[in-house]
Order: sequence, then structure tokens, then C-alpha cells
Amino acid sequence: MQDENLISKKDVLTQMGISYGQLYRWKRKGLIPEKWFVRKSTFTGQETFFPKDRIIERIEQIIRMKEDHALDDLARVIHQTIGESIQVAPDSLSRLGWVDDELAELCGRHDTDSQTDVTANTLLCLAVIHRLRQQQLVTPEELLLVQRTLDKARETDDGFIDRLAREPVFLYVLRKRLTAAGISAQISLAMAANESTLFDPEIEVVDSVDLAGILNRLKLELAEEEA
Amino acid sequence: MSGDNKLDKRGSASISGAGTISGGEYERVSISGSGKITGDITADEIKISGSGKIQGFARAVRVSTSGAAVFEAGIVADELRVSGSTRSHGTTEVKELKCSGVFKTDSALVSEYIKVSGSLSVDGDVSSEIFKTTGAFRIKGLLSADHIEINLAGRCEAREIGGERIEVRRGAWHQRGLILDGLIRIFTGSSASLLQSQLIEGDTIHLEDTEADVVRGKKVVIGPGCTIKTVEYSEKLSVDEDAEVGQRKEM
Repeated sequence: MQDENLISKKDVLTQMGISYGQLYRWKRKGLIPEKWFVRKSTFTGQETFFPKDRIIERIEQIIRMKEDHALDDLARVIHQTIGESIQVAPDSLSRLGWVDDELAELCGRHDTDSQTDVTANTLLCLAVIHRLRQQQLVTPEELLLVQRTLDKARETDDGFIDRLAREPVFLYVLRKRLTAAGISAQISLAMAANESTLFDPEIEVVDSVDLAGILNRLKLELAEEEA
Repeated sequence: MSGDNKLDKRGSASISGAGTISGGEYERVSISGSGKITGDITADEIKISGSGKIQGFARAVRVSTSGAAVFEAGIVADELRVSGSTRSHGTTEVKELKCSGVFKTDSALVSEYIKVSGSLSVDGDVSSEIFKTTGAFRIKGLLSADHIEINLAGRCEAREIGGERIEVRRGAWHQRGLILDGLIRIFTGSSASLLQSQLIEGDTIHLEDTEADVVRGKKVVIGPGCTIKTVEYSEKLSVDEDAEVGQRKEM
């Protein structure tokens, strides 16, 4: 967690228009993880900070979902660990609104599968590719590379998705330009690695996706649709 | 009298002398002498009025202790009433805790309604919807509840306090016991009944006889007897003339 990405508790409250009561209640219910509370000493004394993007996204989610869900249900949904065993009914995908044929096809889901449940692996692929497409930084060829990387991760590492719940794994899309004798070429790479992975300075990180985070988000989105 | 243990046909167990029962499922378990339960136990009711030690995890609808009880692996119950002295090693998760005796845990306390008229000591965090005390408490972690109502009677301490409404009032004996309180003040340098905390955060805060480093809230009242280093408020602040506030900041 880098400093510039932190937001103070006071700023969270004003920015999101919520009260201390709500924040402490959500913390008690486990809706905001303990490890997001970062204590720092400032000149006024101890203050609490949060990873900015994550806390704002989580609070937006809670506010949206609390209309239809009891807080305890919400806690259950958030706590339910993402794992290989998660399966989603086929029709819930269409309710998400962003799964088009092209995306489904890319992640190996064909029209003929319309009756079978969606597996965790397919969900992860859908979520990652969707997120990369939104950013528009990655070329279609690179998307294919990402899809194949995820496929391979699943094939070679049995508990890949279960592992995501325990340690942060990022999917990186990288580019490197090689120049020699007046000819330059660019190669693209996709890799799944830890958050703290270092690349040589000539490598450009085109985009990266927090795999556990994105799966979590998708899980919540699906729960929202159910209500 | 020793070893007067019986296990009746409804699956209830009682120890009224000295004895040991194994863990398991019971309807009622009562210890009125000195007893030990050697394993995990599930029961509708666990009643300890002598001295009891539960070596396993206790799960019950109702737990009441009026003697000395030790739960060595934690408690999950709808209702926990403590009028003796009770210690819990491991998380205590109860819907309702009423403590007129002494309750101590080296772990966290999770509840919906907590009422303390005796004394409470928690090494972890306390979380509840309602937290009311007219006794003393010492919480090494965070005290978090929607409504916190502290009527000071003795020393109260929590590292941090957070919630929607936080009210700290001078106990009734402050009025009655002015002389006694005055004497204690002379000998110890501070009031016998006060609340100490590093940080108090809430939407509506009313404090009396409180010592804190930082108080943050929407509507904040700093009443008599308070010493606060920094108060930050967003809507309203009033400070009693008999209170000391180092810095005030509008957020």
C-alpha cells in the first residue's frame, strides 16, 4: 500500500456522506476488513487511513446493496470465500449486462453451454478480460494472451483460484521494445505474479489486474443481481 | 460430600459436590460445588454457582455464573449472566451479556447487548450494538457499538471508542459521594471515576469526566471534568467551563 493511495477516515466520511456510526457498524459486521485500517501518527495524533480505491469501492457497494440486503447477509456474501467451488447459474451472466457473445466465446463459453453452470475459472476469465477491455490499453492479441495465461494457470496449478483468496496475485500485461541494427520490434507478455514483482526497467507495464479483487467484485455484482 | 454427579435420563448433568463430567450434549448442566467439564459442551443451560472449570468450548442458550467460573476455550451463547467471577479464554460471542460480577477475557467480546454493573476486563476488542455500564471496565482494544452509554462508577478505560452515539455521564455517586470523591482526588490526583481513552469517534458525543487524546465527531459536547488534547467536530461543539481542551478544529 503506497502512501499516495491512502485516504483518511475523515475524508472517507465526508466524501461518501456516511457517518461514524455506519463505518464502525460495517467494521463490526466484517464488511470492511480489519487490515484495511492503517494507523498512522500525524501531528494531531493517531489517525486511521484506508487504501483509497478499495474503501471507496466497498462503501459504494454497501450503500447500493443495503437497500435490498440485510447487513448480515451482505457480510455473508462478502465473507464467502471465492473458490473453485463457486458456480453460477447460466442466466445470471446475462443479467450482469456486460457479458457479450465475443467475451463469452473468448473465455471458452459457447452457446451450447447455455444450460450449464459457469465455473469459477470462466468467471475469472470473463471478469479479467472485461476489465482489460474497458481500459482499452491492451490489444486484442494481448487479450488472447491473457486468456491463455489464465487457462494455463488453471491447468498447471490445481488450487489456483483457491490460492487467490489467500495471497494477492496480479495479472500483468507487459511490453518490451527491442531495437537492434535499426530494426525495432515489440513483444508482448502476459503473466500472473505477486503484487511486489519487479520487472526490468525497459519493460512497460501496460495494465494489471488484481485477480482476487476482481473475482470478489464479480461475486458481489452477482449477489446484487440476485436481489 | 464428594462425587455426587448424576446424569439423568433427559441428558442433564449436575455436580453438587466435587466432580468431573465429560463434554458432550446436555439439556442442563449445573455445578453447585466444585466441578470440571473436560471437553466441549453443548447445552440449553449451563449454570455454575460454585466453582467450575470448562476445559472445552461452551455452546449454550443460557449461561449463568454466580460463583467462580473459567471457560478455557470460549463461549457462544444467547445469554450470558455473570454475577460471580467469570473468566473466558477464547472469544466470547453472546447475544446478551449482563454482568453484575466480574467478567474477564483475554480475547474479544462480541455481543448485541452488553450491560455491566460490575466490572469488565477485555484484552481484545469489544463490539456490540448497545453497550451500557454503570460499573468499571478496562478494554485494551477498540470498544465499538451503535449506542454507548457509560455511567461512570470507577475507572473506565478503552484504547479506542467508536460508534454512533457515545454518552459518558458522571455516575450517581458523584453527587452523593462528593466528599469521598474529593478524598480520592487528593490522594490519587484524579477523580475516582473517570474514563480514559486515546481516541473517541462518534456522530453524537457527550462526555463528562473523560481524559482523551483525540475526540472526533459531528456533534460534540465536552462536559465538566474533561481533559481532551484535541477535539475535531463537523457540526457543533460545546465545551463546559470546567473542561480543558487543548486544540479545537472544525473539520
